Amino acid sequence: MENLQSLLHGFTIAITVPHLTLMVIGVLLGILVGVLPGLGAPNGVSLLLPLTFGMQPVSAIILLSSMYWGALFGGSVTSILFNIPGEPSSVATTFDGYPMARDGRPTTALATAFGSAAFGALVGVILITFLASWVAQVALAFGPPEYFAVYFLAFASFVGMGGAAPIKTVVALAIGFAIAAIGIDTVSGSVRLTMGIDELVKGVSFVVAVMGLFGIGELLIAVEEEFQARAVSSRVDWREVFRALGRLPQHGIALLRSAAIGCWMGITPGGPTAASFMSYGIAKRFSRNGARFGTGEAEGIVAPETADHAAGTSALLPMLSLGIPGSATAAVMMGGLMIWGLNPGPMLFVDQKDFVWGLIASMYVGNIVAVALVLLTVPVFAALMRIPFAVIAPLIVIICVVGAYSVSNSYLDVVLMLGFGVVGYLFKKLHYPLAPLVLAIVIGDKAEDAFRQAMLMSKGSLGIFFANRLVTTLVLAGMALLLLPLALQVVRLLRKPDEAADEKVRII
Amino acid sequence: MISRRALEIVAAALTGFFGVVVVVSSIDNGIGWSSAGVDAGTFPFLTGIIIVLGSLYTMGQGAMGRGTLAMVRTAITPSELRRLAGLFVPAAIFVAVIPMVGMYLASAGYVFAVLALPKRQSVLRALVIAAATPLALYVVFERMFQVSLPHGALAAAFGF
Repeated sequence: MENLQSLLHGFTIAITVPHLTLMVIGVLLGILVGVLPGLGAPNGVSLLLPLTFGMQPVSAIILLSSMYWGALFGGSVTSILFNIPGEPSSVATTFDGYPMARDGRPTTALATAFGSAAFGALVGVILITFLASWVAQVALAFGPPEYFAVYFLAFASFVGMGGAAPIKTVVALAIGFAIAAIGIDTVSGSVRLTMGIDELVKGVSFVVAVMGLFGIGELLIAVEEEFQARAVSSRVDWREVFRALGRLPQHGIALLRSAAIGCWMGITPGGPTAASFMSYGIAKRFSRNGARFGTGEAEGIVAPETADHAAGTSALLPMLSLGIPGSATAAVMMGGLMIWGLNPGPMLFVDQKDFVWGLIASMYVGNIVAVALVLLTVPVFAALMRIPFAVIAPLIVIICVVGAYSVSNSYLDVVLMLGFGVVGYLFKKLHYPLAPLVLAIVIGDKAEDAFRQAMLMSKGSLGIFFANRLVTTLVLAGMALLLLPLALQVVRLLRKPDEAADEKVRII
Repeated sequence: MISRRALEIVAAALTGFFGVVVVVSSIDNGIGWSSAGVDAGTFPFLTGIIIVLGSLYTMGQGAMGRGTLAMVRTAITPSELRRLAGLFVPAAIFVAVIPMVGMYLASAGYVFAVLALPKRQSVLRALVIAAATPLALYVVFERMFQVSLPHGALAAAFGF
């Protein structure tokens, strides 16, 4: 119970007036960058970094990590209200969050998202508290084959579930992989698929694609259907916030399962994005209401949000204990650690006890502060839904344009974003699934790199994916998830040939 | 009126064309196995082939009027098309003039045009929103987060 004692000591560091003030400032700034697409936690943290040079390391990391929590929460806001994911990891939240908000229940959607996110973060911190030393060992066992297996698992759990035409799913997935390959190939250094346009060397950012596909594409669908923002009740209903929170325990199993997925993906550096997609896919398959996912199911918000935050929180562990940043934000924070004169790695836990346990304690407190602040802002954000569509539509266009531009100060990105908008509209109209496309854009190149590095290690033999227990288990689990719907379909086909006939389209 | 069949075929043709471009362009990168491991072009080459084959299949299905949603004959009616253009054309013009007049002028003009011209809002309200938009962009991006938005050739000519 040495960990508990250290944690209590950490609390005496974290719960002081100056540190609580820093948490509030950090969280508020984080919510702001999270809400604005194009600006993310990495931007916010890098801009605050110079301010922290004069601070105590503990105070500095508390400010930066609080900003990270705020950004994680804020990213869900635009996903739910406008279908524009502020962060990659909140893409899966749009699938059910946006339909629910459009249905006139933005408060419920936001409160559900924040509540389950807080639960996920809490599980992540508890995990960090108790498993710090063991987790470091697991992460060390990860090489390229294991990375690939984790990504494969994420794909498998998501791809197999779709209700779309199988060939269209495959095409969408392959297009995503091709888009992810554009630019410099990280393994060989050669330039791929730029089609003679030099500016494409930097690749196509995920943000650009997503803002076009979801932001502009959804806008086009909305005007075509002559969508008018439904008259949402004009007064702020605080009780609905708490009612939504009160309903969360009904999704207990989904909460626990998603938190477990999130923690696992956070420690094995699969990351929050893969975690949220995977959690959504698994929830859709195993939930009783699985068929209604995508139409504004509460569980469809709970699953990705919980996993996202559990992964985001537990991803700080590899950074502290091994010096491997799990995300861009963690990388910037690690830069901060070095500037403050601390060396990330196993020795940090021995030499800088105050720093490490102060940070861990601040994660508990910081997340509580973040939830409280973000719940306070729910009515403000929900009020945005009441602005007439005619006004909000051009503003969304401007936000997408500015967001796409600010990713890398490139005008080409803005044009690409608009192009993705048309593609998004066409695909949605013709029932090509967008989720596999986005997932492939986000983790496609990482999966490819991992695969090729693994091939280099094994000199071209696929046997490396069955070389040890860890990787074999991961690969087999992935294959099982991929084949499960097919197997279920066959069973159903054998049992009731008539009913199954019209469900054939769903086989993937 | 655009029929579903036509839209389906056009979309499949587009994805197919993309697939062909990917295949052709990745052959230059080298495909297969070399001393440096799996060649850079291999992976995109395979995805390109998959895209082409899938597009051909979808196109065939569309041409024969089969597939999951073949019952729906009409994809876009003329009035829907008009509404789509009403959103997309101004947005495209907005994007097109950014290099010239910069983000701030372009966004203000865009908001004003979209709100005031179709008489969706009063001119006064449209003016206020049009003025507030670039101001908010400036404060948040340029001031708070030091992300420079394009000022445009026009501003450059005046020495900003």
